[in-house]
Amino acid sequence: MSDPLLLIEPHGHASRLFMRLEAYRLRSESEIRSALKRHGRRALWIAPSSAAVHLLLGTFPRRRTGDQRLLSLERASDNRLGLLHALFRFVVSVDGGVQLLPMDELTEVLSSANRADLFIGAAVVPTDAAVILYRGNLEPLVVPLTWFRERPDGPIPDPHDLAITDFGQTIRLGAYEAAADALLYEFDEDYRRRAKKRQVETDRSLGGALRRLRLQKGLRQGDFPGVTAKEIARIERGEVKKPHQHTLTAIAKRMGVSADDILTY
Amino acid sequence: MPFGLTLPEPWANRGWKAKIRDRERLEPPHVTILYKTSAWRFALRTGTFLDKEPSPTEVPAEVVGAVRANLTLLRQEWDRMYSENRISTERKAKRKGKSNE
Repeated sequence: MSDPLLLIEPHGHASRLFMRLEAYRLRSESEIRSALKRHGRRALWIAPSSAAVHLLLGTFPRRRTGDQRLLSLERASDNRLGLLHALFRFVVSVDGGVQLLPMDELTEVLSSANRADLFIGAAVVPTDAAVILYRGNLEPLVVPLTWFRERPDGPIPDPHDLAITDFGQTIRLGAYEAAADALLYEFDEDYRRRAKKRQVETDRSLGGALRRLRLQKGLRQGDFPGVTAKEIARIERGEVKKPHQHTLTAIAKRMGVSADDILTY
Repeated sequence: MPFGLTLPEPWANRGWKAKIRDRERLEPPHVTILYKTSAWRFALRTGTFLDKEPSPTEVPAEVVGAVRANLTLLRQEWDRMYSENRISTERKAKRKGKSNE
């Protein structure tokens, strides 16, 4: 079940942007206090304006309680941001170069039952060659820029033109587009397990999993030091059901996963 | 550049899309049908939906029809974009195998 959405709308600051959002609307300190009592364990708070953040901070306990998450849609000072990060487990705000979904799409994603599997925002950290992607439940996922692999004759991923599109289902870097599904499948084991359950049928063999993972990593059968391309091909075809442990370890090492994890792909 | 299939109206105007993006799960080869926060993977080898959820029955018949009618084009696009996991060589090999049987 999704976390409850708590929208802070101080009197005179109601936002039309969230008219269609199914959320508890909190307009005063007393309503925020009641909401905290009801949803003290876990909730997703939305503050569309600076006034909303101000009202929330005026009421919020001065220590972190439960698993509270905050989406702040107006820029804040560094000090205020520091305070928000101290009080909330996850904070997504428009500061720090975070590119959020357009508002109509953001509303749809937040209302969606599968919002944790959709992205609402992203930011590039050029110095560390990484992209931080924020899921609809506000959890961050850090992905190396190199994951956005260029195809021969395809567009070059442009990290200076980063956006989330298709209601959180596509990450766009310039003319280049990556599927959120592919990214989550690779980086989130829980997502991978759920995605495999949804499949009509799948080749559950070690060979099938190895082939999926190898292609996902952009490797050829000849790219495994210590294991011949022929051996890889035989495992993938199911001709070798139980490879030697040292073979499996070498394969797993090259793909950056543990030997036990190969079957989860 | 992703490949986007042109879908018939009124579905395209309502936000339905069918795409092969620059970074997809490579196996099995597929086109993704997108509508708002939902996505359906449609297998290019078999011409069937790959996942039980969300239910394939939620996709309008005209959208599925457009994808099926353009399978050859979608397969060509997949092969062009993902030459490391082409469909066509495999299909030729299967046909050849059958004719040798």
